Amino acid sequence: MTSAVEFHNVSRHFGPVKAVDRVDLTIAEGSFFAMLGPSGSGKTTCLRLISGFEKPTGGQIRIFGEDVSNTPPHLRNVNTVFQDYALFPHMNVRDNVAYGLMVKGIGRAQRHARAEEMLALVKLDAYGDRKPAQLSGGQRQRVALARALVNEPRVLLLDEPLGALDLKLREAMQDELKALQRRLGLTFVFVTHDQHEALSMADSLAVFNDGRIAQIGSPQDIYDRPATRFVADFVGSSNVLPPALTRALGGPEQWASLRPEATRLAATGPVSGTVTALRYLGSGTRVVIHTGDTEIAALVPAGQPVPAEGATTAIAFEPSALHLMGAN
Amino acid sequence: MTAPAILPARGAADRLTGTFWRRPRLLLVLLITPPLLWLGVVYLGSLFALLLQSFYSIDEFSGVVKEEFTLKTYGELFRAQNLDIIVRTVVMATAVTLACAILAFPIAYYAARYARGPWKAAFYLGVMLPLWSSYLVKVYAWKLILAKEGILGWAAAGTHTSWIIDGILSIPGLEGSSLSTSPFGTFLVFVYIWLPYMILPMQAALERVPNSMLEASADLGATRSQTFRTVILPLALPGVIAGSIFTFSLTLGDYIIPQIVGDSSRFIGLTVYQLQGTAGNTPLAAAFAVVPILIMLVYLTLAKRAGAFDAL
Repeated sequence: MTSAVEFHNVSRHFGPVKAVDRVDLTIAEGSFFAMLGPSGSGKTTCLRLISGFEKPTGGQIRIFGEDVSNTPPHLRNVNTVFQDYALFPHMNVRDNVAYGLMVKGIGRAQRHARAEEMLALVKLDAYGDRKPAQLSGGQRQRVALARALVNEPRVLLLDEPLGALDLKLREAMQDELKALQRRLGLTFVFVTHDQHEALSMADSLAVFNDGRIAQIGSPQDIYDRPATRFVADFVGSSNVLPPALTRALGGPEQWASLRPEATRLAATGPVSGTVTALRYLGSGTRVVIHTGDTEIAALVPAGQPVPAEGATTAIAFEPSALHLMGAN
Repeated sequence: MTAPAILPARGAADRLTGTFWRRPRLLLVLLITPPLLWLGVVYLGSLFALLLQSFYSIDEFSGVVKEEFTLKTYGELFRAQNLDIIVRTVVMATAVTLACAILAFPIAYYAARYARGPWKAAFYLGVMLPLWSSYLVKVYAWKLILAKEGILGWAAAGTHTSWIIDGILSIPGLEGSSLSTSPFGTFLVFVYIWLPYMILPMQAALERVPNSMLEASADLGATRSQTFRTVILPLALPGVIAGSIFTFSLTLGDYIIPQIVGDSSRFIGLTVYQLQGTAGNTPLAAAFAVVPILIMLVYLTLAKRAGAFDAL
């Protein structure tokens, strides 16, 4: 498979701030790739490096094998859906969508016809004559999507596109985006700080921390086998066990993660603690057990007995569920 | 004891705030009545008096104003010498506005998009500082700068570029013994004096164009000049129009600069001043004063029709 985007040892430093630091990355053609991380972790800078709004201070970026070091944004066959959508307020929806074709010199009738096709694709057929200010947030988001797709880019970049939408709309748009990506067969690069969004939508994802990639892999890899403490903390609801506790539970003296679903309550065991919080989730109850300085969450399936707050209980799990990882 | 659900009023301020809360319109009425009276009576009232005067005429023998409605005074505006004044003023105002817009744009663009912290303060200071000093001092300073033995002529002689000044002074319509007696000198001083009034609204308009909009344009394949024409200019246009209203109408009405710098040819402002002051022909002065108002109304109508305010 060809790679759509490659980063070779790419850095982007702003004075002493290392926004992106020595990043290596390969995004496969036709994949839905997510960049996940807390704010300030370098994920948005990486996206802007691909679109050309930032220049790397070191390393090399290739798009479909071609070095883009000297290519300005307007000559990169890559389009962006901006976080604030950046629709032009003085143009109607149709002209917004047709903008990319207009600057290429395509005639009015042809570009408007093409814009209408794109609007139909995002289910906004009847909205061509409206101004962006007359649309809802979700509709603006679709216009931004249609506008970015009209140029038939080889890579579509999405910068937290769902961040401004309410929960229900966001979930609907997640499904739609995913379906659209499949249908068009395009490479989507998606920046988000929402781990659920990244895990549910991406074919593969990179977790960013402090300008570096902490882990890169499939959602299953990242969820089940976090490489570092940071990934386990940020991505999952996994329990992060310090080395001493891992050892007490029968493992080596190393950081480990343990998923709540794999954690059971037992009458006796090597490690026990006090139940400090209960959260009823419908499908089960999340029980938080305090042992030493560590909190361990266990998911008790519905129908099984739940201990009372303040009770003492031991924890148990299948040895294979314990996942060892690096300290950072 | 538990705290009461309703707190006791501490004094007049509490009761007044309560009254305003119960009657939201009251505060608004109290706040805008004085300025509305000022605007309505003093400002619009005097404008109306002016309009009224322009429909009177003057008795050519006695020089007494006849308080009868007539369009005779307006007819006088179309005499060759008066039409000449109007055309000269409009051409000058247009040239000054265009020059101000061209000079102001890069400055306003830099200030809006790149200047931060101390540089922004330096920008405001640099633009506003000339406004704080006396208008007359600035105009006389320019007269000296532009005079034959002035610093500009001296610098041109020193750099062997006097031929540029001589070239300008030999263009028909701009003739003069030096820049300070040429209409081109009048133009330069007008541009200098009114430039801040163009920069500030332009900068405010450009500041409201988000960076992501320029990036979106480049992202979609636009060159810098395409982005300028299709995104920046339309979004900054209300600011450009606001600035041009200032530069245009201020030039239309000014009567001091053409007296001090230039070839003493008459402009609308100067004519109004002379008709009202020395000639005592108030009706014709009023009719002349109505001309800039009409020109501005036509200008704004055309600007609106061209979609200049769509981005507001």
